[in-house]
Amino acid sequence: MPESGATTVPSHDAAEQALAYLAEMSPDVRGGAILAADGGVLAASGEADRWGEAVSSLLKAADGAGPEPVEQVHVATEQGEVFALRHAGLTALAVTERFVLASLMAFDIRAVLRDLAAGVAVDSSSPEGAG
Amino acid sequence: MPKPHRVLLDRMTGYAEEAGAFMRRRRLTRQPFARLYYPSGRSADHAADSEAGAELFAAAGRLIELAGKRSPR
Repeated sequence: MPESGATTVPSHDAAEQALAYLAEMSPDVRGGAILAADGGVLAASGEADRWGEAVSSLLKAADGAGPEPVEQVHVATEQGEVFALRHAGLTALAVTERFVLASLMAFDIRAVLRDLAAGVAVDSSSPEGAG
Repeated sequence: MPKPHRVLLDRMTGYAEEAGAFMRRRRLTRQPFARLYYPSGRSADHAADSEAGAELFAAAGRLIELAGKRSPR
């Protein structure tokens, strides 16, 4: 797992907010998780332990598939799609409906991770409040 | 001669049918895939019948199962 650019670990609350914000931004998201650089689950849409194990096994398979650690994973199956993205030592994963627009999904995940890494608070309760 | 609004409606219907056909073709022709992107900008596809692809699909399947169905909004 690449650790370059790792920042201080965000709080669980901040990660939970970021995950909620991602789900709100992208209605196709079924669930997801955010992991710290050490693989610890900061936030998950279900049981943290199970999500942690499942995300780790996906990243392990992805890293083992090539000569260098991956930055982004996209697996599309008949049942749904999985996106995983690493940024600044954090990893975010989202499970979505089929046929979601991949570039938009990756953009949303990256934006959420960037804000989380920078310590920018996201307010999932009022996304339109800024306008 | 059709009324002007009929022309507009027919044209809109045509666009909608085209879009529907495109989406149907996309759903029918799109196969499952596993794609990895690297910091260098390189990307790599892994077929489901390859060793790496099988592991990726298995791991993704577990995650999809974990996420379950989308809750009704």
